[in-house]
Amino acid sequence: MTFAILVSMIGSGLVFLLFLGAYLVTRHPARHWKHLPPISLGVTTISAVAFYKITALVSFTVLPVATVSVATYRLFEGAKEVQSCASCHVMQPMVTDLSDPRSTTLAARHVQNGWISKAACYRCHSGYGFNGTLAAKLEGYRHLVRYTTGTFEEPIASRALFDQASCLHCHGETPAFLGVNSHRIGMPQFASNELSCLNCHGLAHPTRKERTPGSLRYAELMAPNDAAKPVDRHVGTTEDAPR
Amino acid sequence: MTQDTHNDFDNEASADAEVTSSARALHDAIADPISRRDLLRALTALGFASASGGVLWGLLEATIPRYPAQHWHKSVCRYCGTGCGVMVGMNEAGVAEVRGDPEAHNAGKLCIKGSLLPLLNKAPGRLKYPMVRKNGTLVRASWETAMNVVAAQFKEAIAQYGPNSVAYYGSGQLSIEETYTANKLFKAGIGTNNVDGNPRLCMSSAAVGYTKTFGKDEPAGCYEDIDHADVFFIIGANPAECHQPLFERIKTRKASHPKTVIICVDPRRTLTAERSDLHLAPRPGSDLLLLWAMAHAIVEGKVFDEDFVRDHVAFQGPEGRVGWEGLCAFLADYAPEKVQERVGIPAAQIRNVASLFAGSRATMSLWTMGLNQRVDGVALNTTMNALHLITGQINKRGATPMSLTGQANACGGVRDTGSLAHLLPHGRFVNNSQHRHEMEQLWGVPAGRIQPTPGLDAIHLFQAMNDGEVKCVLNMCTNPAQSMPNLDSYAKGMERSFFVVVDAFEDTLSMRHADVVLPAALWIEKEGVFGQSERRYQLVEKLLSPPGEARSDLEILIDLAERLGLDDVVTAKTAPEVWEEYRELSSHSKYDFSGMTRARLREHRGLQWPCPSEEHPGTARRYMPGDPFVPAGKDHYFYGKPDGRAVVHLTPYERRSEEPDDEYPLVLNTGRILEQWHTGTMTDRIAPIRNGTPRGHFEMHGFDARRLDIGDGDTVEVKSRYGRLEGPCRVTTNTLVGTVFATFYDSELPINVLVTDRHDPVSKQPDFKTTAVSVRKLG
Repeated sequence: MTFAILVSMIGSGLVFLLFLGAYLVTRHPARHWKHLPPISLGVTTISAVAFYKITALVSFTVLPVATVSVATYRLFEGAKEVQSCASCHVMQPMVTDLSDPRSTTLAARHVQNGWISKAACYRCHSGYGFNGTLAAKLEGYRHLVRYTTGTFEEPIASRALFDQASCLHCHGETPAFLGVNSHRIGMPQFASNELSCLNCHGLAHPTRKERTPGSLRYAELMAPNDAAKPVDRHVGTTEDAPR
Repeated sequence: MTQDTHNDFDNEASADAEVTSSARALHDAIADPISRRDLLRALTALGFASASGGVLWGLLEATIPRYPAQHWHKSVCRYCGTGCGVMVGMNEAGVAEVRGDPEAHNAGKLCIKGSLLPLLNKAPGRLKYPMVRKNGTLVRASWETAMNVVAAQFKEAIAQYGPNSVAYYGSGQLSIEETYTANKLFKAGIGTNNVDGNPRLCMSSAAVGYTKTFGKDEPAGCYEDIDHADVFFIIGANPAECHQPLFERIKTRKASHPKTVIICVDPRRTLTAERSDLHLAPRPGSDLLLLWAMAHAIVEGKVFDEDFVRDHVAFQGPEGRVGWEGLCAFLADYAPEKVQERVGIPAAQIRNVASLFAGSRATMSLWTMGLNQRVDGVALNTTMNALHLITGQINKRGATPMSLTGQANACGGVRDTGSLAHLLPHGRFVNNSQHRHEMEQLWGVPAGRIQPTPGLDAIHLFQAMNDGEVKCVLNMCTNPAQSMPNLDSYAKGMERSFFVVVDAFEDTLSMRHADVVLPAALWIEKEGVFGQSERRYQLVEKLLSPPGEARSDLEILIDLAERLGLDDVVTAKTAPEVWEEYRELSSHSKYDFSGMTRARLREHRGLQWPCPSEEHPGTARRYMPGDPFVPAGKDHYFYGKPDGRAVVHLTPYERRSEEPDDEYPLVLNTGRILEQWHTGTMTDRIAPIRNGTPRGHFEMHGFDARRLDIGDGDTVEVKSRYGRLEGPCRVTTNTLVGTVFATFYDSELPINVLVTDRHDPVSKQPDFKTTAVSVRKLG
């Protein structure tokens, strides 16, 4: 939806430019180029003025707009991918945790149980509709600036309010959710973000303490391959000490 | 590209005024792509773009939707004995948000009650000034007047009738410093052992059970055992509602280790039962038979831990110590086939559960009021411990008998400080002369100041108030007019005595009987240490000012001590001073937490005792390596007993509970629901909770309802030998046929009017779980 709006905005801008170009050519003909010979394009022959104008249009308008459109599309869509978030190293602990089979965080449970299999970060960290996307992009831009300017400290913590509309969008109307009296009691506060879903359902990501450089878990969380090793889920695994 | 060429082209272009802008641009591009002007333009554009980016960043930083809290503080939840760590988010208006503390044992998880803590301190009906009853009405008074009245009444009673004519009735919700001070003031100052409180109603059987088994109170294990257990044996507890973060932890264990088995023993199909793998519903009052039948099956199936029993366990029969043969002979009466009819659980299922219990790599038992609030509460507790001892399911990770506590500080504040009528601090007993003399020396009071006989426990205290033997009672942070059993009978005593009620909220049922009401600070309006179910002490720091003229309970106690002329006994005047005194005192016991300085408690998410030095990390599991009192080289050592052996008490089952008969054919069981806490003094004032939970009602199985012609929602009259109540009845399939269930949070349906005051003969804990009642449809 968002992309369609942006493309239609760019498209209408292009059409506007075409009409503007045609108007200007009519109004100000390049008379002093009249003597240049026509240029053959194989299937047809056009005047040099027309050729250069078309070339100019393609070079300065069509190609840049197309490039920007494709790049924007790639950026907008690519930024939804987990790997895009992981490209800033401070996000690696969160990304590692998603696929850590020992993890009990909400994010890991949502990903590993297949509740959210694609664009895991984006699905929860963006609101719904155009406003939600715009807010998420702007927030992403803020993070990018923070990261590139080095104006952050580890372990990072988002200051921005997490909008629990993301939780309620999927869970809010299910019988399982509504069957829990605590949900009915807290519903207005959940919707207004005054009461955190995490209070009962546990942390979404590794704790700040775990993400602090030098902590016992830090190296593990920063090494995605190690954490992704399969773990035997059966009783009495090596994670439990012997008797 | 030279300047001349550029000029030539410029001149040529200017000669033709009608050159189009596009042609100029094209020409510019071909002829001179990086002229100075273009460079400036490009730099300007770049600068503009950068500035735009910067401005956008600034705007985003300024307009980012933020959480209302401006600063966060570590604290502890006000409610149950789980003792969840919370982070309190504050702003100018007070508490803005409360989140689970990710670094505490609860790993960031709370229940709905804890989540709604921001509404607690500003809940309607806070007491703001003292009140004294005049001509039958409570009227506002100054602190000076109110405290003078209290002190004069206490002095007069002590002078005229002796120290045993006054009493303190406290709570598992005051801080350690407060309860310790009250205990010292009454036992070592006034010289009466009439110090008891609501913990008598909720966990005195557990305390006696641990002490009889291990020689020391408080659990051996810890919450972390949940992460290692393969079998959970949950009996007489409903942690999915009453200790929710702990049940979440059990579910997490189950999710990561799907072969984990959760067994729930409860006559009701609770939320815990629904989420368990096995639900056993014994007939009310029969679960001691079930436990001994499990022991029988374990011995018969030879799945006990022979080595552990040989080296670390002793057996105590009614006549004295016995051997393994004594156990076998005792168990002969408890074959599953013999007891199945009374228990209501098939023998095969009893054997199956016994096999799971004994055969797992690590079994953890969890229980609360279902075992404690029983006429045979102590026997149930010692037998529960015994099952762990004979199977060796103890002293290893994941294997432990764990009694959960109902109140935030019943363990640390009351059990550990010895603030019950028969106790002295740190596992000492009133009736032990050595213990008394030791405490008199440590407290610096004359020998003989502490009376040699236990004071009045809750039931007998209120009976003595009825009888006029106890004249003055200081009631702090509890609501006995709703929480005591056989309420109508004890209301008389509250009315007859000089009853001082110290509470944070007005218009509790107890306040109706009060002669003086004193407003108290609540939760983070005062500072103090709280000890939860796993021996973890956590500091609650003061973050808010109490409303109006309210004071901390400690300030009230110290004021009273001064007015009674006992400030030479109660010398520590502030919470940190009391803590320092009490911390030092602990070094003379096996509770030793002298390493828990105030500074360490500020820093840590609680510490578990024993913790004998400032370098000690605390003790997660007692009686095994890691416990500072276990000698090097010993794998297990129960140092509370002289021979280092834990004791299996062979207590036979006796029919002591109220049995249904023709007049009262049903059995009433009482309990809690997730959202409400205890007598609802706090939770029922929090609007979302009050609006979102049903009012008090009875629950009854459909079979019984049909027989009695009762439809869902009908108003019924419920009668017991103690009283009668009318209220709505819900028809359900969650209760056992022949039973009725009700909660006790609704002050408009004070269910304890119906409940028996029969109690365990040793622990004196009343039986809130089995009262024979009759039910009749009204209208």
